[in-house]
Amino acid sequence: MNRVLDEAAVFARSTFLQYKALFQWATVRGYVAYKVLLPVTQILFFVELGVYATGPKNALYFALGNAMQLTANAGIFGVIATVANERQFGTLPILLGSPANRLVTFLSRAIVNVIDGIATVVIGLVVSVVLFGLDLQHGNLLLLGLCVLIISLTTAGLGLMFGSIGLVMRDAIIIANVVYYLLLILCGINFPVSRLPGALQVLSYSLPLTRGVQAARDAAGGASLQQVAGLLAGELAVGLVWAFGGYMLFRLLEGYARRGGLQEAF
Amino acid sequence: MSSLARAAFSSFRVSTRLRVVSPYAYLNWLVFPLLFAAVGLYVLSRPGAPASHLTYGLLGGGLIGFWSITYLDGGNGIQDERWNGTLEQIFAVPTPLWVILLGKIAGSLLFGITAFIPTVAFAYFGFHALLPHIDAPRFAISLGVLSFSFLAIAITLTPLFALWRWAFQMLNGFELGVYVLCGFMFPVAIIAPWAQGIAGGLAPTWATRALYAATTTSGPHDYVAWWLAAIALSLGYMVCAVFLYRLVERHARISGDLALA
Repeated sequence: MNRVLDEAAVFARSTFLQYKALFQWATVRGYVAYKVLLPVTQILFFVELGVYATGPKNALYFALGNAMQLTANAGIFGVIATVANERQFGTLPILLGSPANRLVTFLSRAIVNVIDGIATVVIGLVVSVVLFGLDLQHGNLLLLGLCVLIISLTTAGLGLMFGSIGLVMRDAIIIANVVYYLLLILCGINFPVSRLPGALQVLSYSLPLTRGVQAARDAAGGASLQQVAGLLAGELAVGLVWAFGGYMLFRLLEGYARRGGLQEAF
Repeated sequence: MSSLARAAFSSFRVSTRLRVVSPYAYLNWLVFPLLFAAVGLYVLSRPGAPASHLTYGLLGGGLIGFWSITYLDGGNGIQDERWNGTLEQIFAVPTPLWVILLGKIAGSLLFGITAFIPTVAFAYFGFHALLPHIDAPRFAISLGVLSFSFLAIAITLTPLFALWRWAFQMLNGFELGVYVLCGFMFPVAIIAPWAQGIAGGLAPTWATRALYAATTTSGPHDYVAWWLAAIALSLGYMVCAVFLYRLVERHARISGDLALA
């Protein structure tokens, strides 16, 4: 029992310190720029693009899809930055030298970003309601909230996977940029997954967001939990697989980085 | 004069050599344009879509890449020196600062304009997309005017980013807003009237309008008015830049706090 409590304390401490030291938007200007301006302009850009291409009737399809994809802003950028910033600040060798449970340390990197991802989606939904008249009156709001929570968790799972690469790579934030914008193509955010080539559709369904965004669209249309349970279960399973893969990669690359002294390379 | 040209060319050469080994340069030159071109082409190239839609998908990715390089790479001309620890040397040399920056920004623009190559190739091989009609001379002049407007913006942003770091954060966060206001991937005419008013104050908006007009026979073709609007606005930015450079000089030479800003 004491062991569990000790690990819980390490988890809580680690989560708090992640926020204090590594949450890279913890300034008013930084938060406004990347957590308000970026989401608002992303939704504006893709909704206008969609309206130009398909007409105003489809504005909500684009608005909702992009609002959901904003979870990746925190889940991908935020989580990858927790490792990348450890390297930049010179604390990565100390982290790897500590006796703390690796799984606890690893998972604690995602928590603040999951919460932040939910906050970003709320901003995105408010923008969609105010600017594009997204009507959620007939939507299943509780279910939509559950979708947002699950998508935030699963994108953080993907972020943990790519964050691990930061143990051996100097410019891991480049990966964050590529993955974030690739999700716009692969996950049915702005056009149906069925328009992608076959191989990319397989990749699409092995990524977070694809099922989650579909479930969120259904929830906004008034679907019940039973109707989207399969999609949400699939979304959770995909997120877990990515997080587990990330943990395995973290352990693998930790040893590799230690042997090669890569954790200090900058 | 020849010594200034030599200094500008050296600055161009050194910055280009640094650029070609930087992974961030390729992120902006290759990855972003391709990703945005892919989304644009998928959304805009539905069966039965007019040819003008495809043109926006085809050129939009390149425009986004060109702009990204301009403001990220070109606009950080002084910031890069600060990060590399060479700021004091740049100010201590007898060559005027603007000559060094002109060489660096010219390198950025040259690199940025080639962002059209991968996106047009991607559109052709991935979507069999070709420009349906092109008025070559007017297209070339419009691209030249667009490049001049980007040059003016980079010259203006360089001291701005050096003086106030948050300005870079804000513009970086607002990047997709610039795509909207400048009409890189769809016409500005479809956005809200108040936003069109803001867009009218941006030089690239007019140059982009002329560029797309040169790819179609339909719609108005007031090239001269659009080119003049873009050039006049660009010159206006440069006038503002003169005051900003004076402020930079003051911080660098008199108060000596530019490296700490």
